[in-house]
Amino acid sequence: MPLRDFLPQGEMVFPLSQHIGKPAKPIVKKNDPVLVGQRIAEADGFVSAHVICSCSGTVKAIEKRRVLTGAMMDCIVVDNDGAFTPAEGFGQREDASKLTNDDILARVQEAAIVGLGGAGFPTHVKLRPKDPAAIRYIIANGAECEPYLTCNDQLMRTRAAEIVEGLELMLRLFPNAEGVIGIERNKPEAISAMEAAVSGKNRMRVLPLKTKYPQGGERSLIQVVAGANFPITKLPADVGCIVENVGTIYAIQRAVLYHEPLFSHCLTLTGEAVKNPGNYIIRDGTSFSELLEASGGLKEGVTLKKALCGGPMMGIPLGSLDVPIQKQNNGLTLLPEDPCEIAEAQMTACLHCGRCTTVCPMGLLPQLMAEAADDGDLDRYEKKLYGLECIQCGSCTYICPAKRPLMQTFKQAKAEIMARKRAAGGK
Amino acid sequence: MNTALNISSSPHTRDKWSTAFIMRVVTLSLLPASLVGVIVYGWNALLVLALSVASAVASEFLFDKLTHKGDTWKDGSAVVTGLMLGLCLSPSAPWYIPVLGSMFAILVVKCCFGGLGKNFVNPALAGRCFLLISFGKVMSAYQIVDGVSMATPIAALKGGSAVNITQMFLGTANGVIGSSILALLVGGLALWALDIIHGQICFSVLISFTAAMGLFGGQGFDVKFLLAHLCGGGVVMGAFFMATDYVTSPVSRLGQTVYGVLIGLLGAVFRIKGGAPDSFSYSVIIANLFVPMIDTYILSKPFAYRRLARGKWDGSGPLLKRVPRPVIVLTSIALIAGVALSGVYALTKGTIEEQHRAAQAASYKVVLPSAESFEVDAALDQAVADLNGQVYGSDFGRSYINEVFIGRDAAGEIAGYAISATSADGFDGNITLAVGVSPDGTLNGISFTELNETPGMGMRADEPEFKEQFNGRTATRFKLIKAGSAIAEDEIDSVSGASITSSAVVNAVNAALDFFHTTVKGGN
Ligand code: SF4
Ligand code: SF4
Repeated sequence: MPLRDFLPQGEMVFPLSQHIGKPAKPIVKKNDPVLVGQRIAEADGFVSAHVICSCSGTVKAIEKRRVLTGAMMDCIVVDNDGAFTPAEGFGQREDASKLTNDDILARVQEAAIVGLGGAGFPTHVKLRPKDPAAIRYIIANGAECEPYLTCNDQLMRTRAAEIVEGLELMLRLFPNAEGVIGIERNKPEAISAMEAAVSGKNRMRVLPLKTKYPQGGERSLIQVVAGANFPITKLPADVGCIVENVGTIYAIQRAVLYHEPLFSHCLTLTGEAVKNPGNYIIRDGTSFSELLEASGGLKEGVTLKKALCGGPMMGIPLGSLDVPIQKQNNGLTLLPEDPCEIAEAQMTACLHCGRCTTVCPMGLLPQLMAEAADDGDLDRYEKKLYGLECIQCGSCTYICPAKRPLMQTFKQAKAEIMARKRAAGGK
Repeated sequence: MNTALNISSSPHTRDKWSTAFIMRVVTLSLLPASLVGVIVYGWNALLVLALSVASAVASEFLFDKLTHKGDTWKDGSAVVTGLMLGLCLSPSAPWYIPVLGSMFAILVVKCCFGGLGKNFVNPALAGRCFLLISFGKVMSAYQIVDGVSMATPIAALKGGSAVNITQMFLGTANGVIGSSILALLVGGLALWALDIIHGQICFSVLISFTAAMGLFGGQGFDVKFLLAHLCGGGVVMGAFFMATDYVTSPVSRLGQTVYGVLIGLLGAVFRIKGGAPDSFSYSVIIANLFVPMIDTYILSKPFAYRRLARGKWDGSGPLLKRVPRPVIVLTSIALIAGVALSGVYALTKGTIEEQHRAAQAASYKVVLPSAESFEVDAALDQAVADLNGQVYGSDFGRSYINEVFIGRDAAGEIAGYAISATSADGFDGNITLAVGVSPDGTLNGISFTELNETPGMGMRADEPEFKEQFNGRTATRFKLIKAGSAIAEDEIDSVSGASITSSAVVNAVNAALDFFHTTVKGGN
């Protein structure tokens, strides 16, 4: 599935909150003309990111629109003129050697880069740990975060040199770190492309990984690369690691060397219901339905039962496709039938088969956790079974032959425990 | 465009394996053993299996309908329970045995505790134990040859006879339907290879059982002896199919290993001490009862906490720390268990011998009621010692003379002689009895000091109906009459259905009488 540029024609919608942290503040008004790469909303606070326009046209409205979570959120709506006229000041390659570390960080922040692996954490925050000298590994995550998605693979095959440049820029910030590019073994082309690109570079290597879900999880990667396990209360930086998706690293390269803000990224369109699956460089704000139609739509005779933003394991189910694509969205999976529905029909009592325990990447005991949560014994859940360590990867739910909704139970249990803690702390 | 999209929590994909699929695979894995059973034992074996499966499924179906619990009977777990139970039954079991067993297993053990996943002991095993307790006699009749019950290989092994390991391995020896070790291994290893059963359970059962049998079985690590014990008495069935039952085994790997070792050790203790061929089911059931405790105390920690004690968060501690921990834990568990086992053995050994003595003394009083005191006689003791613990005479099977006492009444006159004799030809091992003889050679009575025969069969030798036949007889040697009524002075009626036991008793009595006439009387 080669990488194609997709230029949307319809109206573009930019939610003001596309990332973890506070929503951004709009700096344009209705009827203002806007250009590609223009900043249209400012970050509010440190853990926040700017909003960048990805097309040219005029601001049509600033109003509440439905976003992918199903909620109504403040968005800037732009009437796309289809010309994609770029704003001034970017696209020209600069000499990186003149840039200081602060310049690099400032450009990453200006470019509004967030983690493209899914969570959407502002990257400039991640790149400013308390003690840069203590960082031992910069891990470039080339493992796909989900089984269906292939956009990282495509990006590494076609942009290997750029990714390596981006990694070099990051390594400049961390004098004691080694750059490790982790790629699953089922992507031999990507591995050889990246290996060719790193050859001759200092402090950098490619690490082929076992193909398994959730290999693309931050924790799994750190476990493999640094041999470190750490509880949920710690951050990767606490064990000397920074993990960035290869897409993010590519964006860093564009931001630092070309001064180009992040307004487009790679997305996989996939699923059994899609007629022409493929990988696209997609502009933020494009609606999912426009992408699907332009790609050729659904397979004939297939009704769409389930649409997932992301992949099947952790994807967010979409109630409607008429919502804008955000920066951290790396997949659209469309299914003609709903595996959850089928699973529900097959649900039996827990067999105690232990398969969930075997697959849990955190080494938890999902079977007992579910028992404790169902019994309302949240104390046991938290203290004896370490239930808060669950990263909600869904592996246990996936594997369970009794089709128990394990992860869903854990999500609720965690929320409940957190709520109780807040209530206790608030007194 | 599309308005009716489903919204539900991730993950949005599921593995192909379902409960019903796993149950189907387990059922398949039991088929080789079933097939061999039917081929070897004939159509009645098929009937037993069919009845137990059908009544298991029907029981769950009924329960579902009565309680409106949904359609749990469809998940296939009842088929597995029924088939396992059937394989643990005698091929000659009458129709009500599998039916009642399955009903008990499903209705009482499984459904009443909340159905699949809630029972605390393995339903099939519990069903079997229920049958053993309620229908001991029928249950322990394995293969009927010419109206005489044959010993199962393990019973024969206990009795000191040689067994045919090849037959046991192939499944052509006497026993339950599912006794072909080869077929069970095929199914069990397949389940293990498919990752359906946990290797740490089945192999720790087998290893600890073998080790304990070697250490405490009294024959050392004799390959033939160990193989015979491994192939007999449901060890393989227990290890691969019963112990690995998901519901009644622990969750963590370490817990599973501990549980497996526990089963193996218990199985060995029962084998050595008890000698009931069904001991293995009991050891699994007892270990089942420990599972909640194991699950409470032996929980594995998440990866993030595993090396927290000494290592650092970043895992920069020495790699070695990773490896030995489970090894150390396992070794210590094995050591502790081993020490405990030998301790129990040493302790009970003493008491068993004492009890034995007391029983012996009391039995002398029983067979010579007029005697006030018993004394040893140097000459007679010497005569016993001269026997060198060898089989006594050539006409009494494998009989031994143990000791002789002279009983004196209140006036100090000789009231009679108490002779202890043993026959090694019992159905389940040794039979030891005391024989009281008046000075004139009249038999006063007999009393058992060691009798481990099958309940309801050989054990009935201890009933007055049989043993009081000897009282007041003057014959010097008795004959056993099978299925008739004894009239002549020297005839003894056999316990019906227990001719092996009866003839062992008669042999031991005859040996004692012979010793009395040739040595006690003849010597004086
Ligand atoms: S995988 Fe499902 S059935 Fe098996 S132990 Fe876990 S929760 Fe129970
Ligand atoms: S979702 Fe399940 S498998 Fe994943 S971390 Fe949580 S408990 Fe473990």
